[in-house]
Amino acid sequence: MPSQIGVGKCWAFNDDEEPPYPTIELTVSSAHRKATISPKVDTGFNGSLALGREAVRKMRLTAKGTVLIKAATGHSEVPVYAVKISQPDLALSFTTIAIGTERSLAGRKLLENRTWLLDCKGRRFCLMTPTSAAKKHTGRSREEKYEQT
Amino acid sequence: MMRPFVEAIRTFRWEPFRSVDLVERLGYASGYARNFLSQATRQGLLIAESKRGKKEKTFRANPDVVREIVLRGGKEKTELLEALGLHSKFLGQYVALRGFSVVDHDADLFRLAERIFPDTEAQDEAVITNVGTPKKILTVEI
Repeated sequence: MPSQIGVGKCWAFNDDEEPPYPTIELTVSSAHRKATISPKVDTGFNGSLALGREAVRKMRLTAKGTVLIKAATGHSEVPVYAVKISQPDLALSFTTIAIGTERSLAGRKLLENRTWLLDCKGRRFCLMTPTSAAKKHTGRSREEKYEQT
Repeated sequence: MMRPFVEAIRTFRWEPFRSVDLVERLGYASGYARNFLSQATRQGLLIAESKRGKKEKTFRANPDVVREIVLRGGKEKTELLEALGLHSKFLGQYVALRGFSVVDHDADLFRLAERIFPDTEAQDEAVITNVGTPKKILTVEI
């Protein structure tokens, strides 16, 4: 029997480049500082979080090592940072390793085991939740229910 | 400076050695060996020790240098890890190093980090790095 899922929490696309890209809001904290960031959703990134230079500078993070990564342009070596990631809508709060890159990215480890809606027309990236939870969360209409087989 | 330093680590690891050992084991000219020891000690790569009653100084690699080199990355890091013998034991894995000691290792970076840095308050001086190309390498498409 199919179950219904609805649109839950949504995050607006960032339109500072064309075409606009999906983002997700996260709170990142270190031992002394906390920041809310909106990293680009990168489904080609198999980690959890990459922090851009600006975020690293603002949070005054110190590197805990360096690792080799594979990027579109080839291999490169990047610093790693120990950070706590919190996202109440995803019920996430854990300490992990973030890599340092040019810009902040949210990777597949943050997205896995959830259903997502990439709504390019509405320019939003949304968490899909069981219908009752979705209604409670956003109060959206019946038109935004989807059948899941 | 890094080349003879890495050679010294490859040969003596963290055991003390003397100027004459560089001459005998690495084939350095005595003047070159003395010059290297003097410069490397000034730069903090080596720690000089003199035992009471003994005229000749001994030297050993400074463990704090490992952290600095790992954080700098690049060719020096690769050469250091190879000189420490890590390529033969941990190739394709991630290691956590405290000084010259491997305190933990794992093929998965995130599993290793969970154990080494369980929270952001942890003041562990260990550093994490890859040995060779990781089997479970992180990929970023952009």
